[in-house]
Amino acid sequence: MQDENVIELQSVSKSFEGFSLRDFSLKVKKGYVTGFIGGNGVGKSTTIKLMMNLLQPDSGTVSVFGLNYKDHEKDIKQRIGFVFAEDVFYEHLTLAEIKAIVRNAYVKWDDEVFEKYVSMFRLPLTKKMNTFSKGMRMKASLSIALSHHAELIIMDEPTSGLDPIFRRELLDLLHELLQDGDKSIFFSTHITSDLATIADYVTFIHDGKHMFTKDFQEIEEEYAIVKGGLDLLDQETEREFLAVRKMPYGFEALTSDKQRTQLVFGDMVLYEKPTLEDIMYFTKKGEMVIC
Amino acid sequence: MNLIRKDIILLKKTMLVLLAILCVYLLLDFSSIWVGILCSIVISMSAFTLDEKTSIHLLLNSLPYTRKEIVSSKYVVAVFFTILIAVTTYIGTVIIHGEMLAWKEPLFIVAVVMAILSFVFPFCYKFKSHYLMMAGIGLVALYLLTVTFVIQDLNDRIRWFVKLLLNSNSTAEYIIIGVSVILLYIGSGVVSLRIYKQKWL
Repeated sequence: MQDENVIELQSVSKSFEGFSLRDFSLKVKKGYVTGFIGGNGVGKSTTIKLMMNLLQPDSGTVSVFGLNYKDHEKDIKQRIGFVFAEDVFYEHLTLAEIKAIVRNAYVKWDDEVFEKYVSMFRLPLTKKMNTFSKGMRMKASLSIALSHHAELIIMDEPTSGLDPIFRRELLDLLHELLQDGDKSIFFSTHITSDLATIADYVTFIHDGKHMFTKDFQEIEEEYAIVKGGLDLLDQETEREFLAVRKMPYGFEALTSDKQRTQLVFGDMVLYEKPTLEDIMYFTKKGEMVIC
Repeated sequence: MNLIRKDIILLKKTMLVLLAILCVYLLLDFSSIWVGILCSIVISMSAFTLDEKTSIHLLLNSLPYTRKEIVSSKYVVAVFFTILIAVTTYIGTVIIHGEMLAWKEPLFIVAVVMAILSFVFPFCYKFKSHYLMMAGIGLVALYLLTVTFVIQDLNDRIRWFVKLLLNSNSTAEYIIIGVSVILLYIGSGVVSLRIYKQKWL
């Protein structure tokens, strides 16, 4: 199963005014949770839209379940459950009416599963969507996404704006879903702590570029926050880091090659395990020296 | 088919209200043809504008539908609602006034609505429907200029043309008009699809 990819983007480019994804390649493994992180406006939503054929790439290929959208659009979409951060349902309809519309679209729609989630989330079927809170809308969206036995769940910022209790419940639920080994989950988030709870792999995107897809162990083995005195830094040693933050009393830097950095600096510096936020922060700052 | 069912679910209340309005106008003895055309355009445009928000396009395109199905459903739904209104107009006139309309009148309603929507739908796919008001104002201005300066008896000519059409007994003429309208409508669908395929969501 390890070698199977549920989503593959190969050398995809997509340009808009003021933003572009360039030569973007990404593989999402089947049967795992992949968390998709990156700052605002770096291309997370664009990537998700490309995966769902809501946008067509200028060049490159997108395949889902090993199929392309040109020939298998409906087959692919039948097997995807989606959750968007924004409200995509008709505001003036009740959840029961929305279900009546959506259920007809899916061959494998399962009323029992839908009712199970509606009852689990305590959602009112007869209230209009515009009376739902942000959390209730997310629950409704999730109930719909999970009720047609989708093999792949794609979620764009599902936890943003949710209270910590429901966020935790949602993550538990997703974890439970993965007990069925055939399901895969790909979700973008700003809240990096969510990933530690549930994600098997982390995909990091920055400024339209795929920086890495790694599991937590790989991140821990390869990345480190390095802290030391300013006297250790010169042009050559600074090149060991992705970014350096200089302060009056010393420096703090991120390395993506912990072993090599250990060879260069030995015991003269401190090594700490970086958080995903550290990696995002230092990558954003990039080559520039932070003072 | 599912997308057509969706529009019927979404517009069932609007449709009932419109049918009631249609009956009121028929009671007041307004021209059944023009009332039928107006109601058909209103309901067809309602079906269009309900799905016009970007978030709804996001939903529809994430569901297992192709863009071709999404666009063509709008064209099919418009014909469905127009036929429903034309039939209601026909039956309403029989019940309210005790008169049998010529069979050509409901067909005339359907043909005029299809011809108008053939231009309106691609426009709305390209520019969004709220620009339709501006285009409408432009057309009214053009109409007024034409009536004032170019063809002063334009209204009479339109009336004469409509009468001529409805009184004609030539089957060939009806077939030519019918086929032309259908071809125009299909052509419009192809243009709309081409526009919609280029859209970013």
